[in-house]
Order: sequence, then structure tokens, then C-alpha cells
Amino acid sequence: MKKLDDNTLGRLKLNILRGIVYAILIFLCFLCLFFFYLMVINATRSNAQLATGFTLLPKEHFFDNLVNAWNDASINIPRGMLNSLIVALSTAVLTTYFSALTAYGIHAYDFKGKRLAFTFIMAVMMIPPQVSALGFVQVMNKLHLNNNYIPLIVPGIAAPVVFFYMKQYMESVLPLDLVDAARIDGSGEFHTFNTIVLPIMKPAIAVQMIFSFVSSWNNYFIPALLLDKAELKTVPIMIAQLRSADYSKFDMGKVYMFILLAILPVLITYILLSKSIIKGVTAGSVKG
Amino acid sequence: MKKMIAILLAAIMLLGVVGCAAKPAAPAAAEQGKVFNIYAWNEEFKGFFEKYYTVPEGVTVNWIINPSDNGVYQQKLDEALLNQANASADEKIDMFLAEADYIGKYVDSDYTMDVTSFGFKNADTQYEYTIKAASDKNGVCKGVSFQCCPAAVIYRKSIAMDVLGTDEPEEVQAAIDSWEKFNAVAAQAKEKGYYMTASFAETFRAFSNNCTKPWVDENNNLQFDDQITAWIDQTDEFIQNGYTLTAGVWDTEKTNQMFADGKTMCFFGPAWYYNFCMTNAQDPDNGCVGDWRIVEGPQPYFWGGTWLLAATGSDNTEMLKDIFETFTVNEDVCSKLVENENQYPNNTAVVEKYANDPSYGNTSILDGQNDIAVFANLAQNIKWENHTNYDQLLNEGLQNKLQEYYNGSVDKETAMKNFYNYVKETYANINVPEA
Amino acid sequence: MNERTALQNAKRKTVSYAKWGYIFILPFFVVYLCFTLIPQFLTIYNSFFENYRDGLTQIGPNFVGLENYKALFTADSAGTVRILKYLANTMIMWFVGALPQFVIAMLLAIFFTSYRLNIKGQGFFKTVIYMPNLIMAAAFSMLFFTLFSRVGPIQMLLTKWGWIDASFDFFSHRVTVRGMIALMNFLMWFGNTTIVLMAGIMGIDQALFESATLDGANATQVFFRVTLPLLMPIFVYCLITALIGGIQMFDVPQVLTKGNGAPDELSRTLVMYLNGYLTTKNYGMAGAISVIIFIITGVLGGFVYRMLTAQYRDPGRQHRQRKGDVL
Repeated sequence: MKKLDDNTLGRLKLNILRGIVYAILIFLCFLCLFFFYLMVINATRSNAQLATGFTLLPKEHFFDNLVNAWNDASINIPRGMLNSLIVALSTAVLTTYFSALTAYGIHAYDFKGKRLAFTFIMAVMMIPPQVSALGFVQVMNKLHLNNNYIPLIVPGIAAPVVFFYMKQYMESVLPLDLVDAARIDGSGEFHTFNTIVLPIMKPAIAVQMIFSFVSSWNNYFIPALLLDKAELKTVPIMIAQLRSADYSKFDMGKVYMFILLAILPVLITYILLSKSIIKGVTAGSVKG
Repeated sequence: MKKMIAILLAAIMLLGVVGCAAKPAAPAAAEQGKVFNIYAWNEEFKGFFEKYYTVPEGVTVNWIINPSDNGVYQQKLDEALLNQANASADEKIDMFLAEADYIGKYVDSDYTMDVTSFGFKNADTQYEYTIKAASDKNGVCKGVSFQCCPAAVIYRKSIAMDVLGTDEPEEVQAAIDSWEKFNAVAAQAKEKGYYMTASFAETFRAFSNNCTKPWVDENNNLQFDDQITAWIDQTDEFIQNGYTLTAGVWDTEKTNQMFADGKTMCFFGPAWYYNFCMTNAQDPDNGCVGDWRIVEGPQPYFWGGTWLLAATGSDNTEMLKDIFETFTVNEDVCSKLVENENQYPNNTAVVEKYANDPSYGNTSILDGQNDIAVFANLAQNIKWENHTNYDQLLNEGLQNKLQEYYNGSVDKETAMKNFYNYVKETYANINVPEA
Repeated sequence: MNERTALQNAKRKTVSYAKWGYIFILPFFVVYLCFTLIPQFLTIYNSFFENYRDGLTQIGPNFVGLENYKALFTADSAGTVRILKYLANTMIMWFVGALPQFVIAMLLAIFFTSYRLNIKGQGFFKTVIYMPNLIMAAAFSMLFFTLFSRVGPIQMLLTKWGWIDASFDFFSHRVTVRGMIALMNFLMWFGNTTIVLMAGIMGIDQALFESATLDGANATQVFFRVTLPLLMPIFVYCLITALIGGIQMFDVPQVLTKGNGAPDELSRTLVMYLNGYLTTKNYGMAGAISVIIFIITGVLGGFVYRMLTAQYRDPGRQHRQRKGDVL
């Protein structure tokens, strides 16, 4: 009997291990995709078909459901998507621009209280918005800013986490002599920031824009407390409304279609930009 | 870079627009306002309004709709009403909808206005209880209901045939005209493999709207009426013996029982139930239109009903008067509500016309049975008493917490404790037993 | 102009530009003050008052001292202190999701970074496992509700296979409800943790692995003696931020259980409790709960703060150092 040499044995072991690893990965991917696959399939079935059981193959009612969901009177999903788009886009722009501005202010200038400012932002970074929600709602009601997008958009200017990311990024890519050179050329401070610093920060800005867009698009807690006019409601409020009592009058095909529409914009953005998003997560974490 | 700036500019402009929209508009010059704001919790009345009421030229109607679940509708409405005095004319609520379970809270407040102040007069044809419900302690009426909601038992003809050997409404009614008989039939149905009802809370309204004392006494103590206790006892028995399902009244599991292959004999509901809850019965492929009949059932009761209340501060009083008249006095519109919408109108003249018309019948579900005649009998027994402002959330909370007991996740004691905690948390001023 | 004067010029200018530093950070602080700090103090202030609505009637605000806190920590008839119950629920559901989240993320990070294994299709795998992180939590849990409901496809499938009884209800058992919530949290976060830990591993100096291998260490030893200790800071950072995220758990259980926290309020989280009082306008109690949550996150956040600022003791230092290098 021939003895397997160490090398072959090692390779065999490695291949078995590799097999196991792939199996685990495929299983996890299955878990991640399965529920969404079911959602897409169910969005193609009529209410009566959905009541009959489980199937893995799509049916022909996709467009019926789409038309029904799109034209539904009580859940105005196209309006909700437009509203969410407005809020999320504005938030993304403000958050990234002002976070970069704040980070630049701390990074590029020396001034009294700078350390204190930095320490403060770092200290409040982890405080969740829920713990000040009560006072927030009270102030907004006092100012008659409920049923208004200002309380959903403007607070994005003060985003400690995005600030921290920008600060990190600046430290690695922004040589300050570049700024000095611009000054010597007579460039004003804001001009320098807008025309020299921002372009250098582009990758970080792109990544943070995506993240703040997504988190604003998905935000439910605060908007639900502030908005009640139908024409202002954002998508998550509408989705939570689906879970409310009256929905027995809905057909389930339509409900699946609503969920699909709610996550579709983010899903498409992600599929198009997944590479840079994942790179962004990676970059954001290298600091330790 | 230019793109970035462009986006930024666009966003800033957008903010400007939003900001402007929030600024109070100048009060309308004309006596009557140009914007009519209506608060509602679903689309039901909106549909009728758009079909049967002609909005005066130049007036925009805004619907502000929030779900009634967990009291969301009331919270949003309260917030708006408390702000009514500060709101600009076009932002003010002109009319809002209220349900039987909490109408008192608004009627007994200054946020609703006397209908006579803008020239509306209740007609003799309106059901007495609908006026009483919309009147405050001094009898000042603040609104009208566009429907009357006597509720009945709607049963599956084929299943009744199998269980009772008859599907004739008179004979079925004779078999279930008291709760004892009803429970006995439930046992028979079970033997044949059917459910008597499809939700543990299906019969809740038949009991709760016959209560002889309110949920909360004069000292703000929570109390259980005998009718509520009777409902709990009946449901205990139904669940234990498998006569019903553990689904809630609004759950898909229940409404799926209305497909042709459903196994449930009885459903409890008023006229609005057809459109609102029975869409599955009307499904073109899997439904069972025509296999349904209606009878009075074991105990007369009413369920729900939508009142239209006039909000203090409205600048569209002419329109309010017009709307109120359209949906109560106007016999033409009330007849259309019956014929086209399967509604039971708040107009006795129209009701009598259809109840006594042998050629009238509900063809959309009941295969031509005259349901108006059945509802008309029940409507005579509706009383309006013992309601509190807390009814909606107490009824909803009791059902939610007991559902956990009926589906086996907690024991009864825990379910009741959770209910008491829920009451305490929802209404800080109500005293609950031993909490 | 020689180099020396240029340097002096630059130095002088840095000083004179100080006001721009204030201008640039001003928007952040103004907005933070208006939209977070003042509301935060108002929240704390509210917690000392009786302040709620009875229908359309406003009760209070009346100063009650610590009564709201006392009420929060008073046991009900069954001897349960509800806020502690909800805290325990939150922590249990977080833990059940976070345990596999970290174990699997660690394994995947090692797989992905292993040269020996040389996993193909990493881009695809990473894309797929990160995706759930971006899905709207409300939509995700609505999806779970419809899929697992009594008349949903999962129930039908498992019944057909005979795994569960037809009468089984996923939403009436503590284990299944909490399990669903934990599963959703796991699915939403393990991809993110994987990528962060991967970045951490890749940031470790390769020479350390090489010398360890040369010294005769096997893969397990390398992992426990080299990778893990060096990865510890980032691992702990991930863990604490995940824990803080866990305390904020709201959308998923709220939508899944329609705000009831069924069964027996065993899936009700702290923030759901807070939300209940916020929506019923009981601002006194809502304030007290907010303060409790604030304290809990404050303590945890303290750790994160210390970790992040360990290398940032003086934010100006690196700047000056770099400047020094340039010159």
C-alpha cells in the first residue's frame, strides 16, 4: 500500500476545508437572498394564488400588482418614494458637505478650543437619536415644524460619525501644504475648501453620501413622530402602516409589491455601486 | 465638482420651497375658505364623498388619513385640534371623522361646533342614536353619521345546509336566536368539521355594544361589564372546543376563511362589512358570491359607524352644511348608497322604501336577499349608552392581550395583568385593579 | 524669498487663519445645539414632571421630583419591573443575533483573508452578505411578518413537509418571535461586521504572520497568538458599537409585532416602551425612560470614546508633525 505523502494529504485537507468554506458561504448567501427571492415571487402572484400556498416560480400578476400598488388610494407609494427621495437626497448632500467642512475646520486650522470641540464631537458620537426624541418633538411642535422636512433634513449637518470618517480620510489624503500653496495663490478659505479640498475628498464624500442617503431613506422613528399629512409621508411610515388593522382589505400581492417598491431604490443603488460601498466600509474601519 | 455644487444648490432651493410651504398663507379674502381639510382613518367615506358630493368650484379638498390602529389616528387628530387656534385658515381642520368608540371625546369638547350654528337641522329620518352619539351632555349636536350600523350574522348557505339541514334564513335564525342555541350550533358545526366563527373576537361587538355600564366608573376605576365577561366566557369555550380560530378580526387568516374553500359558517358584521371585510368572498376565481345569507343572530347590536363632525374654526361652514345634508337628508344620494355601495343609510324613509320593496335585493353577495329589511329590524334596538372616550383602545387592548391567551402563549392571569399594564400605560389617569 | 521666511510666513498665517476654524465648525455646533443638545436637556427636564394628556385635556406639567423614575422601577402585580424586563428582552434578542454575527463574521473574515484558502468570487459573496444591511428595517420585518404569518408561505411549506403542526403560530411563541428578530438582526449585520473585521486583519503587518509561521506556529496558533490579540481593539470596538445599536432596537420588533411586543411583551424593547409613551404624549414617563436609555448608552459609549481617542489625545499633534515632516 502506497503511503500518501504529506503534500498530497495537505492538499486534500485544504480542498476539503475549501469545500466546507464554500458550503458555508453559499448557505449564508442563500439565507440573505431567500427572503427577498420569496418577496419578488410573491409580488408576481394574485391574492387568491397567495392563499393557496408556497411556490418558487413566478406567476403572471406582476404588473397587476404593480398597477394596484402604484395607484392605491390610502398608501400613495409613488408620492412616498418622491418624498423619501427629496428628504434622503437633501440629507445626504448636507451631511457630507458639512461634515467635510467641520472636519476641515478641525483638521486645517489651529484655534483655541479646537481640542475641546473635537473631544465633544467624539464624546457625543454614540448617543442615539432616540434619547433626545422627546425634546426634539416638543421643540419642533413649538416651532410648528412638524409636518415639515426641515427637522428631518437639517439635523444631518451635525453628524458626528460622518465627521469622524471625513477627519480620518483627510488625515490620510490631504497634505496641508497644498492648502498653504492655495493661500499663497490668493485663494480664499471657502474657495480653497470647495475647489481643492472637496475634489480630493471625492471618494469619501461619495461613500458617505450613499450611506447617509440609505439611512435617511430607511429612517422610521423620528419621521413617524413628526409627519401625519398624507402628502408628506415617507416610505417607512407607509410600510409600517401596512401592518395596521385595516389591511385585511388589501390583497397580499399588493402588500409584497409595496415592500418591493420600498427597498428597490436602495437595492438598485447598491447593485450599481456595491464595490465602492464595500470599499467605503473597509476604509471607514481601518482606524481601529 | 460642478455636479456636486449643482446638487447642493438644488437641495438648498428645495429647502427653500419646503420652508415657504410651511409659512402660513394669507387668510382667504372671501367669507368661505378655499381649502377644505378632512381628517379620516381610512378611505371608506372618501370614496362616497368623491362619488356623490360635488365640491364647490374653487375649493380644494385635502384628506389627512392616519390609521386608527394603536390610537394613531386620534393622536394625530388631537395634535391638529389643539393647534387649530394657531393654524392659518387654510390649514384648519374643517371636518373630521370619528368612530362610535371615541366620538364622545370630541363631541364633549369645544373643538367641535354646533351644527345649528351653520344652519343644519337634523331630520326626523335620521336614526335617533346617531344624533345622540353626536351630541354633547347638553344635547347640542356636533355632527352627523352618513350610515347606520345595525349588525347581523352573515352565514354561508352551503355550510348551514350541511350543519343544520336547512339554509333558509328564517330557520337558521330560529336555530341561533340566543347565545345558548348559537353555542349549541357551534358544537354541531365542529362535528361536521366546520368553524362557527373565524376569529376569537368575531362576537366581541355583539356583547360589548350591549354593555350596561361603561368601561370606566365615575372614580376613574376600570370595570368589567357582565357582557364583556360573558364574551370572555364564550370565547374560552369556543377556543377550548375548537369552534373558532385564534386570528384577530382583521387578520388575513380570518378573511381567507371567506374564500369558497373556507370552513367557517358565521361572520358578524353590519352593512359596511361587505365592502370592507368580504373582498375575498367576492374574488372572481376563489370567492363564493351568492353563497351568503344574512339573519339577525343571537343578540341585536351595532358595530362602528362613521360620524362627520364639524370642527370649530372651520371657514367652510356652507360646505359643511351641504355635506351633512347630502349624506343624511338627500334621499337620492342615500338610495344610491344602498343600491351601488351596499350601505345601510342614516335615512329611515329610504330604508323603508327598500325594506318593503319585494324587488330589492342585495345581488353582489347575498344572491338577492333583502338585507335592508333585516338591518331595519335590528336598527330599532340600537341604544346609545355607556360609552367612554377610552373605548377604542380598551376594546383593542383587551382583544390584543387576550389573543395571546387564546393562542396559548400566556395564561389568563398574565394576559389580564398585561391588559392592566397596557391600560395604565395608555391612560395614566385610569385606575386599574391591583396594579 | 528664502525658505526660512516662507516658513515664518506660513506659521504666521496659520495663526491668523484661526477664525476660519471657528467659521467652519460653526454650522455643526449650531445645528447640534438646536436639534440635539437643547432637546436632550428638555428631555431630561421633562422627566421630573407629570405631563400627559387625558383625551384633549392636558394634565400638568406638575413637578413631581423623581416620581416618574420611581414608577418605572415599581414592580407590577406579578412582581415584574417592566423596564428591566424590556431591557432584558432587548439584551437577549441582541445577544442571540450578535453571537452568530460575530462568530460567523470572524470565520468569514479569516476565510476571505487566507492566502492558503484563496477563496474565489469574494466580490460576489461580499456583495450578497452586505446587502441586508441596507434594507429598510421596517420593510424587512414587514416581509418577515407576511412570510411567517399563519397564512404565509413559510408556514405552508413547513406544514407540508410535516415539520410543524398546521396550527403552529410563529408569532405566539417566545422562542420563534425572538428568534425571528434575532435572525433579522443577524442577517442585517453579519456582512458589515465581516467586512470591518477583514479590514482589521488586512491592516495587520504581514511580517508578523510570516515570522510566526517561520517559528513553527500552526494556523490555529497563529490565529490565537497573533491575529486575535492584534485584532482585539477593532473587535471590541465593533462589539460595543453593535451593543449600542442593540439598545436602540426598535423598527424590527415594532413592525413585526405591531407594537405589541407579543407574546407576553417578551419581544418588547426599551425603545418600543419609550415610543409607546411618546405617542400617547405622556412626556413625563417618556422623559424618564429616555434618561435611563441615555445612561446605559452613555456608559457603553464611554468605552468607544476612549478607544477612538486613544490615538487622538491631541488632535493638533499629527497635523503639526506632518507639517514638521514637510519642512
